[in-house]
Amino acid sequence: MRGMFDMAARGGVCVAVLAAMLCLTGCSESAPDPKTQIGAKPDLPAQQQYLLPPMHVASVVGWKSGETPTVADGLQIKALVTGLQHPRSLYVLPNGDILVVESKAPGTEPIKRPKDLIMKWVESWATSGGDTGESNRITLLRDADGDGVPELNSVFLDHLNSPFGVALVGNDFYVANTDAIVRYPYNSGDTKITAAGTALTLLPGGPIDHHWTKSLVASEDGALLYVGVGSNSNITENGIEAEKNRAAIWEVDRATGRWRIFASGLRNPNGLSWEPQTHALWAVINERDEIGPNLVPDYLTSVKDGAFYGWPYSYFGQNLDPRVQPQRPDLVATAIVPDYALSSHVAPLGLTFYTGKSLPASYRGGAFVGEHGSWNRPQLNGYKVVFVPFSDGRPNGPAQDVVTGFLSPDEKSRGRPVGLAIDKFGDLLIADDVGNTVWRVSPAGK
Amino acid sequence: MQDVIPAAARENPASTAGIASHPIHPMLVPFPIACFVGALLTDLAYWKTAEMMWADFSAWLLFAGLVMGIFAAIAGLIDFLGNRFIRALAPAWFHMMGNAVVMILAFFNALVHSRDAWTSVVPAGLVLSALTVLVLLFTGWMGWTMVYRHRVGVSNYARDV
Repeated sequence: MRGMFDMAARGGVCVAVLAAMLCLTGCSESAPDPKTQIGAKPDLPAQQQYLLPPMHVASVVGWKSGETPTVADGLQIKALVTGLQHPRSLYVLPNGDILVVESKAPGTEPIKRPKDLIMKWVESWATSGGDTGESNRITLLRDADGDGVPELNSVFLDHLNSPFGVALVGNDFYVANTDAIVRYPYNSGDTKITAAGTALTLLPGGPIDHHWTKSLVASEDGALLYVGVGSNSNITENGIEAEKNRAAIWEVDRATGRWRIFASGLRNPNGLSWEPQTHALWAVINERDEIGPNLVPDYLTSVKDGAFYGWPYSYFGQNLDPRVQPQRPDLVATAIVPDYALSSHVAPLGLTFYTGKSLPASYRGGAFVGEHGSWNRPQLNGYKVVFVPFSDGRPNGPAQDVVTGFLSPDEKSRGRPVGLAIDKFGDLLIADDVGNTVWRVSPAGK
Repeated sequence: MQDVIPAAARENPASTAGIASHPIHPMLVPFPIACFVGALLTDLAYWKTAEMMWADFSAWLLFAGLVMGIFAAIAGLIDFLGNRFIRALAPAWFHMMGNAVVMILAFFNALVHSRDAWTSVVPAGLVLSALTVLVLLFTGWMGWTMVYRHRVGVSNYARDV
């Protein structure tokens, strides 16, 4: 009997401890509408520290025959090519040929903690379909007559190392592999590069290589290259030393390969692009995870020379991240607020300014953003292409959904948008790395 | 004192889960004890150095401690449920309930340690690691009481072997 009493007493202690733990770690609050986190002044709710972070990834169903994404009024969408191997970024050569960069993660990230085993398993639900064949190559598509059926679909450049960004300057074609910028000779009309590449500048790749996509853009005069180098962790959990020269945009001298950090504190910068009116460098940035479903908003920003944007120490200016120790108040004091929040966990990976003429005039001068989609919030966010209107070189108004329907009605992933480009007809191209498709958005009725 | 009957005058409470009459439970308990004490030490090292390697060690130690702790708990529960003389001992109840608290604390501690960087340890992880070890000291004392005072699992024929 005394034993039974003890058991009851002990059980009470257990419940109390449990309750204390849950309170200690904070419970979820009512979730604000993602729309309140779009624009120059996003709502930034209080931070949460999870026992279990929300992990909601849309599992993959793919596109059934005849299914396409949904487009805004005045537009239509068709698959330009299907059956690719994890297409991630797009580039249009001066002669109109379309390059599709098909790429896979380097797979060099070690299992450092029990958590990594679980995270890899969860991520495997979301990346899909593309694991059946060769990737890490560039495919060339030529649709000279614009009928939506490429006359030519062939491998342009093969056996690359997790490539992402590419850029052409004169006859020099640059590929940003995950570990180096490599230069190849190219002549207009070439459909295949067989020459060996020459490394221009080594980039931070392995070990680890957590954010491995290296976005690339050449300066408008062609003298410099800008390359996005993502962080090696979510929030320094691989140690601060692993972040050396990362979470930054590098400026590389094309003639010599010398480089410097152009801007820093950018957790995972992608979609490097020139704003057509002011000729300023813009990028989309994936911000940190696991401090709340509505923290931290990913963003679209102009990238200023020498600027620091906060990561890892702070976000949106001086909002400190308690997970980072030791802190750097000297750096935090200089952290600038990015221009335009896109809402939390949408994972923007593609950015292109609309400089074409075929789409409705309202799109001219604004930015299309490819949002790969969330995993770290209960309600899915992103999984679409949005349009941010610009005027006088600045965002001007709320983001509009342009291409949706990457999620099925039961929230399964048919595809996920990544890189964007404008083709020679002025149509919008979208790389879909889960649907393994390149989509072309053109004016309705064209 | 209640137990004035000389121990030699009665049967020792037998362990049910054993190998060749060697109880399994005491073979397993050193693993979670060493892991959870180790996790406290690596947590302290991380707190003082902010060197992620220590926090990674803590996470693995908690994981291994939980896995081995489950095996130890299964063997212990079999002994507890398999012999009413053991269930009649107050220290056996304290030992079992206390170690259930240890496992619950360690489970939540493992979740806390799955956070990224500083807050995976400071302050909640470190506090939980310290609480776990404190409760372990108590449950360990109760376990030793069962063996050294009540001869749980001790052979009746030890002197003849």
